[in-house]
Amino acid sequence: MARIDIDHVVKHYVDDRIVQTNTGRPALDDVSLQVADGETISIVGSSGCGKSTLLKVVAGIEDPDQGRVRYDGVDVTGVRPQERGVGMVFQDYALYPSMKGKGNLAYYFDVHDSSKEEAEQRVRETAERMGVGFDLLLGQVPTTLSGGEQQRVAIARCIVRDPPLFLMDEPICNLDAKLREQTRVEIRKLLRKFKITTLYVTHDQQEAIFMGDRIVVMRDGRIEQVGTFDDLYYTPASRFVATFIGSPPISVLPAAVTDGRLQLAGASWDLPSPVRAAVPDGPVDLAIRPEGWRLDEADGLAVSVRHIERLPTERAAFAYGTVAGRNVTVILPVDHPERDQLTATPDLDRAYFFEPDGERPLHTPGVLELF
Amino acid sequence: MLFPRVGRKQPMLRIAWWAVVAFLCLGIALHLFPFYFMLVSSFKSGEEVLAFPPTFWPQDPSFAGWKLVFQIVQGSAGQLLDAPLWLFFWNSVQITFWVLVIGIPITSMAAYANSKLQRGPMARWSFLFFIGTLMMPAALTLIPNFLLTRNFPFALPNAPNIPGTDTAFPTFPIWDTHWAVIFPICFQAFNFLLFKGFFDTIPDSVIQAARVDGGSEFNIFRRIVLPMSVPVYAVTIWTAFSLAWDQFLWPLVVLQTPERMPMSVELYLLMERIVQSGGTSAEAAAAEAEVMQDMLGGGLSWNGLMVLAILQSLPVFIAFIVCREYLLRGIRLRGLK
Repeated sequence: MARIDIDHVVKHYVDDRIVQTNTGRPALDDVSLQVADGETISIVGSSGCGKSTLLKVVAGIEDPDQGRVRYDGVDVTGVRPQERGVGMVFQDYALYPSMKGKGNLAYYFDVHDSSKEEAEQRVRETAERMGVGFDLLLGQVPTTLSGGEQQRVAIARCIVRDPPLFLMDEPICNLDAKLREQTRVEIRKLLRKFKITTLYVTHDQQEAIFMGDRIVVMRDGRIEQVGTFDDLYYTPASRFVATFIGSPPISVLPAAVTDGRLQLAGASWDLPSPVRAAVPDGPVDLAIRPEGWRLDEADGLAVSVRHIERLPTERAAFAYGTVAGRNVTVILPVDHPERDQLTATPDLDRAYFFEPDGERPLHTPGVLELF
Repeated sequence: MLFPRVGRKQPMLRIAWWAVVAFLCLGIALHLFPFYFMLVSSFKSGEEVLAFPPTFWPQDPSFAGWKLVFQIVQGSAGQLLDAPLWLFFWNSVQITFWVLVIGIPITSMAAYANSKLQRGPMARWSFLFFIGTLMMPAALTLIPNFLLTRNFPFALPNAPNIPGTDTAFPTFPIWDTHWAVIFPICFQAFNFLLFKGFFDTIPDSVIQAARVDGGSEFNIFRRIVLPMSVPVYAVTIWTAFSLAWDQFLWPLVVLQTPERMPMSVELYLLMERIVQSGGTSAEAAAAEAEVMQDMLGGGLSWNGLMVLAILQSLPVFIAFIVCREYLLRGIRLRGLK
């Protein structure tokens, strides 16, 4: 149980080369983040955005060039990882190849002068917690285990010692779909039960939404936005967040505003009054989520449909098509007939407006009030 | 597997496969022939060894060479050697033992530190420094090394004076001791290269995971890295062993006392006495002839030397057979040699 405070951290990786040519951007660029006690934070971002580096800085494996890391207000920036007592799951499992599953779990107790009995008992408890069939993995060397099995052992190695802080670097990305679902629920239960502060790195939005109390979106070593899923989805801080969050992704269409009317691909609509106040006349980028379209209205746009994907569990179907050469996705009722053409009207109350070719949002719809 | 099993029925592939097999057999034969000749010569009589054209099978097998060598080992063969042969054998064993015991941990830990603990340009510089010692011809370092053993740690003919006084710095002359033979080959750059190459293949995340688990750097090395590295240790121990066992020039330079010589040098000296013919003066020639007389009278000839050569190379063979399994795994692992 710990409160984590990451304070203006900058991290450059040093090249192995003799002549330093590294003038590129830093892996972490002025990153600040506060994690409350017992909170789970999901970190998402495209690969190479610095998610894993952030975890390593928090674990103490990498030293930041600038900035501080505090646990419960105590500055641990210079403290070695050995003395921080965090638990970490690595993306490539990082199991000790020369030890069996059990040895992997017990290594922590070996180096901490714990008694054999204590180690035994903790390993047994953890095995029970990890669920069916886990005992079998304990007797095997990691090289004989499948990717998913290795990952389970790695998670067990992390939780076996009840750390105050969990750092998970894509811990379940290699499990098969069913086991992933199961393990995800299992980890979530565990975190809820023990109220362990967790940083959870993933590239899977669904996982991030499921695991995280809050979600951090990272890009090129910077934090773009921190917030709940609704915050990120309905009030993105930038165009990047808007296009990154949401699946299928948001459709961006170049449009223009003249005298309070939106012109797009030959059609035009009156802007609602809150939007009109925020969006000036001139070119503007209109962004619409799949659910932000109304179908079959008289003033609609012609969408030429490429293909339709049906999702029976969601009672919906996604139509992938183009408007004026730009890709758009429109949500349809699941029984919508298969056609090459659709007529869809953007719901301007639920639409996003961005400055043309810029990152800044001009207007976002705000969190939907469902209840 | 040289070729995939799948397409072996293809005529061209089959020809190529047999060609490779034939080539490898030729290589094996070329490698083994000296050992065969050594073995066969040890059973020939003195005249037959020098016969031309050479015979490939002893026409008149005799065990004279072997009998003589037993006498030499026990020290009862007169003036042939300065001491019983087992003494020189024991010297070799001691030197090799210390080279391995001191050298392998130093080399492996240096490589581990260079591979996993050092970072940035410094790691590359120290790597280049160590590897650079491979490019230094041994002949170039012979004299500085010799001076080092005279006035350790100064590579000078005489130790310099302490500034402002007339007294010289204290030195540790290790010249003419086994340590002078052991220390220079403790760190072997080639083994460093092998170790470093292997440690580089261990993912950083394994080391990092162990750090997060709380293992000290030495504990990580001992508990996690060492058990993974058995094959590469086998390879390096074997190369270090054969180097230490067979080294010749350096002990000849730094060792003076006959009783301290390793076996490789002693065998050479013995051979030298047989090969040398004629002298620079009448007395020398007479003395030489007398020595020659002694040896031939004692029955020592090339056949005896062959027996000694077999004894000399035996430990390397045994070492190879003992760790053959690991050696092959290690060689396959790194694609060495």
